[in-house]
Amino acid sequence: MINILQTRLIHWKKQIFTLLFWLLLPIVTTILVTNVTSAIQDDSKVPVGIVLEENTPLAKDLVTSIKQTPFIRVYETTEEDALLKIEQHELDSAFVIKAGYDEQVRKGSRNRLITSFQSDLSFAFTPVSEMIISYVQQDTGRSKAAFTVKNLSDNAGLSKQWTWEEVVAKSKEIEAKENLLHTTFTFADSGQENDGKGITIWKPWGLWAVFSILSTLLLFDWLIKENRSSLAPRFTFIRITFKNYMVINALFYTILLFIFDLIAAGAFFLFLEEPFNLHSIGVILSYRLMLNAGAFLLALCFKNVYLFYSVSFVITLLVAITSGAILPIDGIIQSYQWLEYLNPLATFLSNKISVIWLIIFSFIIGLWHVRKEKSHA
Amino acid sequence: MLNVTNISKKYGKKSILSSISLSVQKGEIIGLVGENGAGKSTLLHILATIQKPTDGVISLNDMSYDKNKKVIRKQIGFVPQDIAIWDEFTVEENMIFFEKLSWRKKSKIELKQLCLDMELDKWKEPTKTLSGGMKRKLNLAISLIHDPELLLLDEPTVGIDLKSRKEIGTYLKNQAINEKKSIVYTSHDMDEIISLCDRVICIGEDPFYKSILIDSGKEVISF
Ligand SMILES: Nc1ncnc2c1ncn2[C@@H]1O[C@H](COP(=O)(O)OP(=O)(O)OP(=O)(O)O)[C@@H](O)[C@H]1O
Ligand SMILES: [Mg+2]
Repeated sequence: MINILQTRLIHWKKQIFTLLFWLLLPIVTTILVTNVTSAIQDDSKVPVGIVLEENTPLAKDLVTSIKQTPFIRVYETTEEDALLKIEQHELDSAFVIKAGYDEQVRKGSRNRLITSFQSDLSFAFTPVSEMIISYVQQDTGRSKAAFTVKNLSDNAGLSKQWTWEEVVAKSKEIEAKENLLHTTFTFADSGQENDGKGITIWKPWGLWAVFSILSTLLLFDWLIKENRSSLAPRFTFIRITFKNYMVINALFYTILLFIFDLIAAGAFFLFLEEPFNLHSIGVILSYRLMLNAGAFLLALCFKNVYLFYSVSFVITLLVAITSGAILPIDGIIQSYQWLEYLNPLATFLSNKISVIWLIIFSFIIGLWHVRKEKSHA
Repeated sequence: MLNVTNISKKYGKKSILSSISLSVQKGEIIGLVGENGAGKSTLLHILATIQKPTDGVISLNDMSYDKNKKVIRKQIGFVPQDIAIWDEFTVEENMIFFEKLSWRKKSKIELKQLCLDMELDKWKEPTKTLSGGMKRKLNLAISLIHDPELLLLDEPTVGIDLKSRKEIGTYLKNQAINEKKSIVYTSHDMDEIISLCDRVICIGEDPFYKSILIDSGKEVISF
């Protein structure tokens, strides 16, 4: 085993740059594409100034709500600075949350809670202000409801006394539940709504998974290069059978690639704040094993590397398109559940451990392995 | 040591070899000649266990090829007609690569010495830039890493200059006389065959080979 590893290391040393290129490609591309798209999205957001005259819970809540709105980038600043920036058109508009906001809202008053500034170029002023008003109205309405409930329960002499905070909390809870029904842009895979950070068309792991298919297939060209007939007589006169030689080398490639999968997980955690845990590592491992088993079988079918490369590109494209990692195909997946079940990428993206393909591939490799070697017949 | 009895080979209906019998003793060099397509490579492949004869029995040191393929392979050094080396490796890497997979462990010094024995001294040079003669020598050296007793060489000297040809010839002669290796090898160079071989096997239709050899006084077996 160690000897075979040494022979592999000679190969790897020779092609160190190509090897590293394909190993790092999925990681680097994923981080780059994700960063670039999120930067583009940031640029297309409307810059809005928010001036906080008080630091009360309700005022802070309002700012948080505004910040979470897609397409708005919030700058917290002073009134003076906001005015200056509006003049210079660095801000589209600005809103001042006046001192006493919290108190007024709790009282149910809606007057002069917020003042706004705009210029003649504030193209987004109306929708933004309307949105902010709707948030304020939500708060005052909730507050009013709280008072009403409190009064009612006071008057009815109920033993359970509702406080203002309790009613507000309850109302938010109900609202949160209802929010689940409301849909936004989703992926075929995730089922989770976009979280207000902006719409991410590229889900990092989806992208990684697609590029991993490509890089794994291309890295398995070793099998074709070593399977060529001119070298075959050499491999008749070695200690192990040629088939075992190939299987063991595939194992080395699997270990190497899995190490880089873990590096990917670490890098995505660091740079893209993608969490990972033991389960997701299991998912990655199952995906890796399936991918390598598939690449192994595919490479066995080819004698010509260039044809193999072209087929690899086509396969990558096909899998990517039908999985929903690139194009959202929610509808298709929903009407053909089995498609998701069969698409290896879809299983990976829904964070499930995929074994069907692994079992099928392993079975075929098993058959191939027990079949008598033709050249030795 | 090597005994071949009545072997024949057919590809479908096409008969390539028919009823060939021969025996090779320890320390003997046997030449194998015949026109292109006569079946020299086919015969060597069969002797090297790479192909199976359609008919006939072969044994090495009284071990039948049918049952002891694994043990027999350890005794065989096969040099393919098409050069089989890693183009992207240096001479050193090629030798080390195949040593790692070989039955016999050899140190780097031993491997280097093996190359030097046949005047292959470009240890660190990438194989790509080696001359044809050097490549042939490397092709031969790799096959000898596991110290086989029976060497089967398919045109080991084709396409190389006189000097390299002589060096390879001297090396083979040495192996047969001093190391008691048995050698079967093919070549189209009759002078080389005449000077190196103890006996010659002639296959195919072309009577030309046979007449040259008989004129030279060599012992010729023809099929
Ligand atoms: N797999 C095969 N199927 C059918 N015919 C084959 C096969 N392999 C070889 N042959 C035929 O067998 C014949 C003998 O081929 P072989 O390579 O043994 O000849 P050779 O004597 O080594 O020739 P050369 O001097 O050109 O090397 C040729 O006619 C070839 O076309
Ligand atoms: Mg030949």
